[in-house]
Amino acid sequence: MASITNIRNGIVTNLGTISGLRASAEVPDNPSPPIAIVNLDSVEYDGAFNNGLTTYSFQVTLIVGRAAERTMQRKLDAYSDVTGSQSVKVAIESDKTLSGEVYDLRVERSSSIGSITIQDQTYLAAEFTVTVYA
Amino acid sequence: MAKFVVTTNAVTLNGTDISGNCARAELVINAAEVDTTDFGSAGWTEVIGGLKSGTVSLDFHSDFGSGAVSELFQDLIGTIGTVTLIAGNGTAASATTPQYTAEVLVNSFTPVAGAVGDLSTFSVSFPTTGAVSYATA
Repeated sequence: MASITNIRNGIVTNLGTISGLRASAEVPDNPSPPIAIVNLDSVEYDGAFNNGLTTYSFQVTLIVGRAAERTMQRKLDAYSDVTGSQSVKVAIESDKTLSGEVYDLRVERSSSIGSITIQDQTYLAAEFTVTVYA
Repeated sequence: MAKFVVTTNAVTLNGTDISGNCARAELVINAAEVDTTDFGSAGWTEVIGGLKSGTVSLDFHSDFGSGAVSELFQDLIGTIGTVTLIAGNGTAASATTPQYTAEVLVNSFTPVAGAVGDLSTFSVSFPTTGAVSYATA
C-alpha cells in the first residue's frame, strides 16, 4: 500500500532530474526559484474493492523566477514543453511507478500559467496537475 | 446488519482473489416467466416460474502482469470458470456476508479498451451454467 509521503518524495526525486531546478516535498518558508513544490490536492479512495485502487491528485507549483527578468518566459516555456531535458512532464513521468510505489502516474495539465506574488515579489509560475494511481 | 456502502466485496476467479482489480460486481439470478393464462384467468395473465438462469457482471482495472486479471481472462476465453462473490463487504462467508458461487461461461473479454488519459478498464458479463450456490458459513 503506497504512502502519500513516499509518493510525494518520489515525485520530488523525478523532478530532481531537471538540471538547475530545486524540488521540495514541503512548502519552504522562503522559496528560492527556480523551484517546484509538490502539494497533495485530493485523494479518491475505493477505486476498487479491498483498497485495490486509490487515486491521488498532486499539484506541482513551479516558481520559475522574477517575472521582470527577460529569460524567465523562455525558462517557463522549456519547463512546460512536452519534450526536452527541462520538461516537467518528462521528468515526473521518467519513472511512472516511483520505484514501484504506485501503479502509474500521469502529468495531466499545466495551468495557472502567469505571475504570483510572494513577499512583495512577482514571480513567473505555473501549476502542473499530476494524477497518481496507487 | 445495517445498511452499508460497498467497499470491499470479495471476488475470486478460479480461486484467485481479483478483488483489488475489481470496481463493480453484480450477480443477477432470474427465473423465466412461463405463461399459464387460460379461459379461467378472469381476464388476467397468469405465470409460473420456469428455468432459472444467472448473469455475473464485473468491472475491472486492466493488469497484464503475470497471473494478474487480464492474463487470467485471456487464458479462460471459451471455457467454464468458477466465480465467487462475497457480499456485504465480507472476506469470508457468514450470515451477513453471504458467498455466492457460480460456474460461468467466459464467452467474451475486452483486453484493450480506453481513451487516452483514462485508466485502462474492462467490463465482462458472463452467463452462469448450472446452479448458483449460496453459503453463509
